[in-house]
Amino acid sequence: MVKVEFKNVQKRFDDGFIAVNDLDLEVNDGEFLVLLGPSGCGKSTTLRMLAGLEEVTEGEIHIDGMKVNHLPPGARDLGMVFQSYALYPHMSIGDNLAFGLRMAKGEKRIPDEEITTRVIEIAELLELSDHLNKKPKELSGGQRQRVALGRALVRRPKVLLMDEPLSNLDAELRHTMRKEIRRLHDELGTTTIYVTHDQIEAMTLADRVAILDNGILQQHCAPLDAYNKPENKFVKDFLCKHIDDLVETANSLFKR
Amino acid sequence: MSGKSLMKQWYTPVEITTLKRWIFASCIVNMLLLTFDFLRDEYDLLLAGIFACILLGLLYHNMPSVHEEKKRNFALGLSSIIFGIGIYKLISLEITIFNIWLNSWIILPSAISLLWLSSRPVTVWTSKELSISAVEYGLERNHQLIKKYRNITTHLTLLHFVMITVLPLIWIIDTAISPGNALGGELGDSFTTQHFEKVLSGESFQTWLANSLIVSIGTCLLGLTIAIPAGYAFSRFKFSGRNVSMFAFLLVQMFPGIIILVPYFLVMKSLGLLNSHIGLILAYCVTALPLCVWMLKGFFDTIPRELEEAAVLDGCNQFQVFTKVVLPLSVPAVAVTGLFSFLAAWNEFLLALTFNTSNDMYTLPVGLASMISSTGQAWGDFAAASILVSIPVALLFLFFQKFLIEGLSVGGVKG
Repeated sequence: MVKVEFKNVQKRFDDGFIAVNDLDLEVNDGEFLVLLGPSGCGKSTTLRMLAGLEEVTEGEIHIDGMKVNHLPPGARDLGMVFQSYALYPHMSIGDNLAFGLRMAKGEKRIPDEEITTRVIEIAELLELSDHLNKKPKELSGGQRQRVALGRALVRRPKVLLMDEPLSNLDAELRHTMRKEIRRLHDELGTTTIYVTHDQIEAMTLADRVAILDNGILQQHCAPLDAYNKPENKFVKDFLCKHIDDLVETANSLFKR
Repeated sequence: MSGKSLMKQWYTPVEITTLKRWIFASCIVNMLLLTFDFLRDEYDLLLAGIFACILLGLLYHNMPSVHEEKKRNFALGLSSIIFGIGIYKLISLEITIFNIWLNSWIILPSAISLLWLSSRPVTVWTSKELSISAVEYGLERNHQLIKKYRNITTHLTLLHFVMITVLPLIWIIDTAISPGNALGGELGDSFTTQHFEKVLSGESFQTWLANSLIVSIGTCLLGLTIAIPAGYAFSRFKFSGRNVSMFAFLLVQMFPGIIILVPYFLVMKSLGLLNSHIGLILAYCVTALPLCVWMLKGFFDTIPRELEEAAVLDGCNQFQVFTKVVLPLSVPAVAVTGLFSFLAAWNEFLLALTFNTSNDMYTLPVGLASMISSTGQAWGDFAAASILVSIPVALLFLFFQKFLIEGLSVGGVKG
């Protein structure tokens, strides 16, 4: 059971700006949660607090029933996919995938043979087997994206975090990668938290969405419920209006 | 106005436009070259030169345009007068490579001007009404030729700059391989390796070389061990006094070295570090550090933070992030910074001269200088030694060229 809980979490930056305010959020085991909102709404900060890259000002974050506020990021057993991929440019793809496994020390140390098998396994899953000896700059955008995904998954993390992972891809690739991410989630069943500002991504990927604005949680429910029963004007405008517009455009195209 | 007549208006033969630029350039250059006539006290030639400059300026202003046959003929006349002046200047001087080059700045432009102004495209353009097809043909021809002429201009300019840098080098090499210890003489008239043999077998040169290597490599290593962590700290951490110390680093650089020479000397004397390697290494590090730290800080700033965050999530601690991710990525910057501090120490003269006064503690630059002052102007040996001193530096540059160009950080992030 991997359950993630935010309890009255607040993030206040040094300059007094409150990025996340009094956030209460629960992510169930194996759930795909999408944090959705316009830029500057605090969704990335929420994710970074969970990852341990930002300190929590107030409140508590629990992973698997354990308070992780002061646990170093490496010890939280998370995998994260960055918007810019953040692959290590000086390492081959294989080394990129293996780096996290090699860093485990002491009791958690993983024997070399197991590292190799796990890297090969994940490379097959993501169709990267032919590229293990290449450097990141030799790969296309979509392939780099898959490496970033693989690097996060190869450690078999308790929770998988994704920070706008598709925003650097073109429309076509974004579509295929979206399907791929959902397929991986269904296959592995890892609890996943996914940050995006793209309503379509949220609607197609999520089990549940958490819609944020100005650091405050607006609505937290299944995507269709948010669409059918928006709780306030912001959700209605941000989610429904956008999708209605899209449907309207599509309809007018078909009529032609 | 219709498109076709517009096109006619736009058409000028490439000869005219190029000529305008070249005449302008040669006019400026000739004005500068008048200095030589002045220095040689050749007042007739100086006068002729000034006259040529004025005529060139006049020619520049009288380039013909469409239907200006009279102006074209006037320009032709001007060019032939300038050409005449050039020839006159040339024959009244001794024929040497330098004099030919000097006067070719008058002769060549005027000759080209004569040739091009009387060429068929220009003649037709100035005298007749052009048909559309002729204009189209002319424009296409312009397009092809303009690249060629631009190329010639660029390469001629570059050639001059190359000559300016290479000539002293050729001179030194010639002095080193000619017998005897005199400066000057014909280029490449004789060959000997006696100077090199003498310098290489001489004991003092070997001591100086060893001194220089110890001091330079020491400076390089000590400088890097301090500058790398310092640069990283300045780039990534916020601490009190950060900005002040960054500025303080620069402050030292703002004073000319000679100001701190005497205080340095007193400090070194009281520490008992005169006539030692360590003293020089410390002094060089102090002068080289600010720039090294700033350079490395600048490079570390370009490494995306996300990369380090990814490493943190992969289980690295702060030190491992630095050694396993940041440092391997910084190899080019570190190499360049190291090269910089090495060269600064290798070439430094003033501090070395002041601190290390005994012959067996000289570094190469000081040793080289001593060859000229004390042992009676042994220019041949001096030249050979200075070539030997530059070889390691040249090799280093060849080796580090790869790093200077390479940008390892590219490709790790985004598309």
